[in-house]
Amino acid sequence: MSVLIPLLFLITAVSGTAIVLIRDPSRQIFAIAANGIVLTILFTALQAPDVALSELAVGGAAVPLLFLVALMAVRAGTADQESGGDGR
Amino acid sequence: MSPRLRLTLLGAALAGLLPGAVAVIGRLPEFGATIAAYGERINAIVPAERHVANMVSAINFDLRGLDTLGEEFMLLAAITGTVVLLRGRRGEETTDRAMRLPGRAILPRSEAVVLTCRLVGPLLMLFGLYIVVHATVTPGGGFQGGVILASGTLLAYLGEGYAGWRDVVRSHWLDAMEGGGAFLFVLCGLAPMLTGAAFMQNVLPLGTFRDLYSGGLMLIENAGVALAVCGGFTQLFLEFLEETRESAGPEESGEDSA
Repeated sequence: MSVLIPLLFLITAVSGTAIVLIRDPSRQIFAIAANGIVLTILFTALQAPDVALSELAVGGAAVPLLFLVALMAVRAGTADQESGGDGR
Repeated sequence: MSPRLRLTLLGAALAGLLPGAVAVIGRLPEFGATIAAYGERINAIVPAERHVANMVSAINFDLRGLDTLGEEFMLLAAITGTVVLLRGRRGEETTDRAMRLPGRAILPRSEAVVLTCRLVGPLLMLFGLYIVVHATVTPGGGFQGGVILASGTLLAYLGEGYAGWRDVVRSHWLDAMEGGGAFLFVLCGLAPMLTGAAFMQNVLPLGTFRDLYSGGLMLIENAGVALAVCGGFTQLFLEFLEETRESAGPEESGEDSA
C-alpha cells in the first residue's frame, strides 16, 4: 500500500502531462480517457469508491465520447467545405 | 498588451497569492490523516437517524439535499443551453429518422464489435440499474448509475450503427426524462410541505438499515436524478451526433469561430 499510492500519483502526473504534450486532438482524447482511468484507480486506492465511480463514468467514458463526437462534427464541417465530404 | 507586460502581471499576481497559498498548505492536515470531525459525526448519526449505509448518498440526498437540487438544475440548464445552441441552426423540429451526411461512406463494423456490444450493452444497462437502485446501500447512486445507463445506450450506437440507435432512442423521450427527473426532485422537496413538514424533510418510512428499501424519500430523489442524468447525457450525445450528420449549410460562412 505504501508503494501503491506514490506510484499512482506518479502515473497520474505522467498521464496528465501526456494530455498536454500530445498535440493531435484525436489522440489527446484517448489520453484524457487514460487519465480518467488512472484517476479512477487512484480514487479507489484512496478509499473513495463513490468518486471513483463518477470519475470512471464521466472521465473514462462520457467526456471522451463527447469530445470524439464534437471533433467528428468539426471535421465533417471542414471536410465538407474543402473537399466535398471526406470526413469519417 | 505585450507578452512582457502579461508575464509581469502574472508574476505580480503569483507573488500576491504566494503567502496565502503557503499559509494554507502549511496548515493542511497530513496526508492520510484521520477523518475530519464532520465525517465522524456523519458516520455516527446517519445509520441511526436515516437507516442509510452509504453516507455519500445520505449527504447528497438528505443532509445537503438542497445543494443537490441546485446541482440538478445546473445540469438541466447546461444541457438545455447546449441543446438550444446545437439545434439553433437546424431549428425546433426534430425527426426520429437518422440523418446522413451526403457522400460519407458507411464504415463496415466487424462482427466482433457487434457481438461484444450486444453482449456487453444489456449487461452494462443492468449494472447501471443496479447502481441506481442500490444508492443507499453501496457506493454509487443516481448520478453514477445514470451516466452508466447513458453509456449503455451508446454501446447500442457502437454495435448497431446510428440508424439502429435512433430507432431505439427517441429525442422527445429524452427531453421528458431530463425534465421529468428534475421535476420529480422538486416534487420530493415540495410534497412534504403538504403534510406540514419542512422543504425536503424525509417524511416517508425510513425502511431497514442495509436493506434495498432504506432512506425513504432519498430513493425517489435518487430515481429523479438517475432519470435526469441518463436522459440528459443521451440527449447531449444525440444532439452532437446529429450535428455531424448534416452537411454544413451555405449560410454559416461567418460562424466558424463560434
